Amino acid sequence: MKRNAIILAVLVLIVAAMLYSGRFFQRRPAGADATPGMQGSAEQIKGKQAPEFELLDLNGKTVKLSDLRGKAVLLNFWATWCSPCKTEMPWFVDLQQRYGNDGLQVVGIAMDDAGKDAIEKFAKEMNVNYTVLLGKNAVAESYGGVEFLPTTFYIDRQGKVQERVFGIADRKEIEENVKRILASPAAGSAPAHTVAHDNQQTLHASPGVNR
Amino acid sequence: MIRHAIFPKLIFVSLLFASAAFAQQPSNGPSVSVVGSPEVVVKSGGTATAKLTFRVNPGFHVNSNKPNSELLIPTTLKLSPPSEVMIANITYPAGEQITFPFSPDEKLSVYSGDFHVTALVRTAKGTPTGRFRVHGEIKFQACNDRQCFPPKSTPIEFDVAVQKSAAAGKHRRNPAQSPHIKG
Repeated sequence: MKRNAIILAVLVLIVAAMLYSGRFFQRRPAGADATPGMQGSAEQIKGKQAPEFELLDLNGKTVKLSDLRGKAVLLNFWATWCSPCKTEMPWFVDLQQRYGNDGLQVVGIAMDDAGKDAIEKFAKEMNVNYTVLLGKNAVAESYGGVEFLPTTFYIDRQGKVQERVFGIADRKEIEENVKRILASPAAGSAPAHTVAHDNQQTLHASPGVNR
Repeated sequence: MIRHAIFPKLIFVSLLFASAAFAQQPSNGPSVSVVGSPEVVVKSGGTATAKLTFRVNPGFHVNSNKPNSELLIPTTLKLSPPSEVMIANITYPAGEQITFPFSPDEKLSVYSGDFHVTALVRTAKGTPTGRFRVHGEIKFQACNDRQCFPPKSTPIEFDVAVQKSAAAGKHRRNPAQSPHIKG
């Protein structure tokens, strides 16, 4: 009887220990700024080649990430229902305007079910001057699973993910990251010049969506 | 003697591990859940109001049923009652008009913490007495101060207890006090 009780207690202990370790490892953060959920795989992508994708833009044209090789790419996952994403969009418009000639390409991947027309209307209202693509879950999955928005990846000229930011970022932080990827050398070329623009430049947003 | 001492210690350590494990239950993402186990009592052939309390987990907010922009996804409740029960007039509270750090110039109409949704529960005359389960789902789109989460649906359920109608009762002591309206 006493022996059975001890065996039972040991079993309970083992199960409890398994539960504890399971929860512990589930909750281990992969990055200080990460929110539990996607961060594990998204963290793994940092420093690695950005996954290739093929998505349609608002004109129905296929855009591949590899088409942008040699450019610094700010890849932003967003949705029309995401208020923080909306806040960031004028900042991206500004950055595209100011750094576009230096080789920056902002790419917004719309991750909602609103449909092309609604996304296009929204982008026009926001004076978006950068590439907007219609998102697919498979692409989000390849970037670690975009479980919340906005999520932004900074891809250097060699196509490597230099940084990823979950949620809305500070505007200065975004610009610093953009400068970093612009300063990265293109594959097989001399290092690019350091970008040091006047941050106070006035925003002149071009109307309509980048075509 | 030693064995006697080990057994309670083993149990104690087990409980400690188990409680620690559940204390670490992650609050990964947003959730909206029904508070308690709501039950609505209605007379056969009468109506009653179901008051459902929903709880948004701390740190998150969801759009109200009438968000300030058509692009924002409203919180909606869909109920699928069994054939014995009818549901009408689902009523949502007004949202709190709140400004968030990510959008300081814009007020959003949101629910956070607990909020109540009511619905009219009606039964036809002759509905048999008994307990009937209403299934449904609450659809919401949540954000915190920095990011938003895709729309999500959470299943809900509550019970409707149908009692014998006042008119059908043979031993009504004080019919004037019946709070129920006959359908």
